[in-house]
Amino acid sequence: MSSYAEFLEEKKKIDELYEKGYTITAVREDLSGAYLTFERSKLDLNDIEEKIELHILTADTRKYFSNLIIAQQKELI
Amino acid sequence: MADLRVNFAGIKAPNPFWLASAPPTNSGYQVQRAFEAGWGGAVWKTLGEPILNVSSRFAGTHFNGQRVVGFNNIELITDRPLEVNLQEIYETKKKFPNHAVIASLMVEPKQEKWHEIVKKVQDVGVDGFELNFGCPHGMAERGMGSASGQVPELVEKQTYWAKEAAKVPVIVKLTPNITDITATAYAAVQGGADAVSMINTINSLAGVDIDTWKTIPNVAGKGAHGGYCGPAVKPIALNMVAECARNPEINVPISGMGGVSTWKDAVEFMLMGAGSIQVCTAAMHHGFSIVEDMVDGLNNYLDDKGIESVAGLIGQSVEKYSDWGHLDLNYKVVARINNDVCINCNKCHIACEDTSHQCIDMLTSENGNAYLEVREEDCVGCNLCSIVCPVDGAISMVEIPNGEPMTWNQRQEAIKLPICNS
Ligand SMILES: Cc1cc2nc3c(=O)[nH]c(=O)nc-3n(C[C@H](O)[C@H](O)[C@H](O)COP(=O)(O)O)c2cc1C
Ligand code: SF4
Ligand code: SF4
Repeated sequence: MSSYAEFLEEKKKIDELYEKGYTITAVREDLSGAYLTFERSKLDLNDIEEKIELHILTADTRKYFSNLIIAQQKELI
Repeated sequence: MADLRVNFAGIKAPNPFWLASAPPTNSGYQVQRAFEAGWGGAVWKTLGEPILNVSSRFAGTHFNGQRVVGFNNIELITDRPLEVNLQEIYETKKKFPNHAVIASLMVEPKQEKWHEIVKKVQDVGVDGFELNFGCPHGMAERGMGSASGQVPELVEKQTYWAKEAAKVPVIVKLTPNITDITATAYAAVQGGADAVSMINTINSLAGVDIDTWKTIPNVAGKGAHGGYCGPAVKPIALNMVAECARNPEINVPISGMGGVSTWKDAVEFMLMGAGSIQVCTAAMHHGFSIVEDMVDGLNNYLDDKGIESVAGLIGQSVEKYSDWGHLDLNYKVVARINNDVCINCNKCHIACEDTSHQCIDMLTSENGNAYLEVREEDCVGCNLCSIVCPVDGAISMVEIPNGEPMTWNQRQEAIKLPICNS
């Protein structure tokens, strides 16, 4: 698979979580790449508060989520 | 006509092109002919206790038919008595009062030795001194040259001793045979240097003859490490000049040298902070007359840019030279092939396929013609294909808009912060 296609797959997973209201709350990086923790606040009482972890492999996706985090932090300021 | 005059740390010269301390400045005869040819200054072949040289002392590195891409030497400092040099310096300065005559000096790292030579040489009217802390061979074995130039404390001390006796500006010439040249440049500044110059030659062995198994050059069958210079060392020299120029603690003028062969090379050094330019190998390869092109080229360049004097050029690119962590990770270029000029040699395809990111496809058009196309989405913009392509204009690196800038430093800061779940 081309590296661009790998990036698109990973990006899609991140975008889908964002669409569901998740944001990245933690990043851990090691020899195997990056592990992103996604969380979202409860929308109503029945909603379960979930943490989801994504393992990111490609360099382009690691740039991509970094841009998202910076944008996220700018929004909060 | 732009004003090419320079005032380098108080040393005035009609132009910034000076001959470096080396064989071209060995004698009054040579330096005077060089001034007549148009050189603005000369750093006299290093003075010190006269040495003995070996015969067979230079070697050239030739590459693919191009002669002298690099130059290697195992020559030492002057082999002539001080008085002979001083007489010729005096005569040269008398004939050319407006040209810069700088005396390069090297003695043992002892206060009285520095005082003695500085005073003797000063009396004949030199415009400045250049302390040679850079020669990597022969002298280093005797505790001089790069041996003392690699130790910041010795650089500082010797600069201080020279400054104690000097009434004219003192330039400290640094060795590149050190991991971080700013350490010794800073030591020179601490010692009171009025300026620094770089680079002297880089430790080298030019080659080994694969038939005789002797070194190149060899002296009766044996070799010793030499010093490398010429076009091949330019990127190393330019980086060292730039690293010093962008270091706020090295706040003295820089005389740049190492591989300068044309006015364009000189402009690059000046943009990166060099206030004067020294040349050795190019003069040894082509003779003194190369300075005519250098002067004309610089003049035309300044006129074209609408810059009135050399001073308007010096250091203009320094702020563009930074640490890797400040570079924009979002900046993106991709390779684009112009099939109108491409000669289908496939070099770019091979380079990308074997050693980069496998994104140049070999395709066939409807009418059966082979052509190459870059899959831009997979191209990382490494530039390799455009570097190996033999045809000008066949590959251009095109910038692709890619959002707001994000440096590595910003990214690391952002991902380590606790991230709120809003
Ligand atoms: C044959 C030869 C002898 C040299 N002798 C000296 C010397 O006596 N003193 C000195 O400071 N540098 C000496 N150098 C170094 C040059 O001054 C200069 O720093 C170096 O060659 C880099 O410039 P280039 O690439 O234009 O040659 C010598 C260089 C060569 C090639
Ligand atoms: S710039 Fe690099 S990755 Fe892109 S096509 Fe050329 S060689 Fe391949
Ligand atoms: S290297 Fe240049 S000329 Fe050769 S095939 Fe590639 S684009 Fe064409």
